[in-house]
Amino acid sequence: MDSHGGVPDLLGAWALGACDDDESARVEAHLTGCATCAAEANRLRVTAGWLALDGAVPPPVTLRDGVLAVARTRRAPNPLGALAAAYAAQVARLDGVLRALSAADWHRPDPRHATVDGIIAHLAANDARLAEDAGVPARPGTGGTARATWRAQADALVAGLVILAPDRPVRLAGRGAPQRAPVRDALVQRAFETWIHLDDVTVAVGRPLPPPPTGHIRHIADLAARLLPRAMVTTGTVHLVLHGPGGGEWTVDAGAGPEATIFADAVAFCRLVANRIAPDALRHTVHGDRPLAAATLRAAATLGCD
Amino acid sequence: MRLRDRLVAGDDTALTEVYDRWATLVHSLALRIVGDRGAAEDITQDVFVHVWERPESYDPARGPLRAWLSVVARSRALDWLRRGRVRARYQAISPPVTVEGPVDEALMSDIVAKAVRSAVADLPEPQRKAIRLAYFGGHTYREVARQLGIPEGTAKSRLRVALRTIADRLTADGIVDQ
Repeated sequence: MDSHGGVPDLLGAWALGACDDDESARVEAHLTGCATCAAEANRLRVTAGWLALDGAVPPPVTLRDGVLAVARTRRAPNPLGALAAAYAAQVARLDGVLRALSAADWHRPDPRHATVDGIIAHLAANDARLAEDAGVPARPGTGGTARATWRAQADALVAGLVILAPDRPVRLAGRGAPQRAPVRDALVQRAFETWIHLDDVTVAVGRPLPPPPTGHIRHIADLAARLLPRAMVTTGTVHLVLHGPGGGEWTVDAGAGPEATIFADAVAFCRLVANRIAPDALRHTVHGDRPLAAATLRAAATLGCD
Repeated sequence: MRLRDRLVAGDDTALTEVYDRWATLVHSLALRIVGDRGAAEDITQDVFVHVWERPESYDPARGPLRAWLSVVARSRALDWLRRGRVRARYQAISPPVTVEGPVDEALMSDIVAKAVRSAVADLPEPQRKAIRLAYFGGHTYREVARQLGIPEGTAKSRLRVALRTIADRLTADGIVDQ
């Protein structure tokens, strides 16, 4: 026997699950200390995993819904899970863009935050306020760059918020007096703000990106519709009919009064909420009370946070 | 966020993604081993419910999620077979029927399924037999040796050589890392 104790001979059988328990244990013990065998073992185990496709037979389509339903009854989904994943996806997108920036790109001008560097500092500050409010421990970034600081903080937020009770009230970011809202709204808002600043950065460096996926846009529009009544100074009922990806219909009930229906593109409406599109620049049509519709759009433009 | 983190966090859209990506793999493997459609569906359900209930039992350091799903699916399918064999011993029921399922056209055009099938088909017959006995038949290499009437050492090296050959082919096709 060589210095590998006969393990290499066993690797094929091991990867196929065809060793007895003692031998499997011996192989696995050896693998923890031998990179050469571990590399081959991993490669063979991965290959064995593909063997099922030697004769691929998909399950009946009806099985899918049944499996998902049974799974959800055995362990209830966390309503924050998908929202946290949506936020994490925006964080990853922004990080990908920042990683590719040159030193000069960081100094490119931005109308609100002076430079690209300023955008990220602002975003990190808003993230930090929520982290503090929600009791999420800070995680220092390595290297001390604006990107590292923001990224470490954002990762800590994703991990820290997802385990909180979805209804726990926290402070939303915003320009006016701080509003309190459930954690789930705060997660949507983080995803939203991260996307908008990603947009700012890509505009500043001249490399625009497509908007987030449909589901994210819908969450943002939904949050805006729910925050709108508190932001409005007039009363009435407004139907928001948003089309395009992430579209849908919402009713904003701001008390007794006239009625209006606003038709607009969902992504454009989100940009209005972020105050990246001015109310009078948003392409839209109105049925019903025009002053109420105009007041609604003005209120919507105040919901964002610079 | 990695799929595992999303599963641990309770994001059920991650479960849907895992199912849509790997249900055919899991189901094919289960059906191939048990040869019974109803059982293959039950096993497929068990595997994905397990992924959802206990995502932390998957250790990413030990390989991709797909490989882990195969291990879980195979072990459940073999358990089912063993229970069946015990039943058969006492009830003398007829041996399990082998089901040759219709091969899905969409999947056949799938690059991976094609590559795997052609890599297995191109193996020398003795190697292909050994692999099938071990992986789909659930036999140890010692049992494989006995069934094929060859020394245990030969069975061991046959399995390793066969699997390496398939790995090399899948590497050339860009499916398995070097």
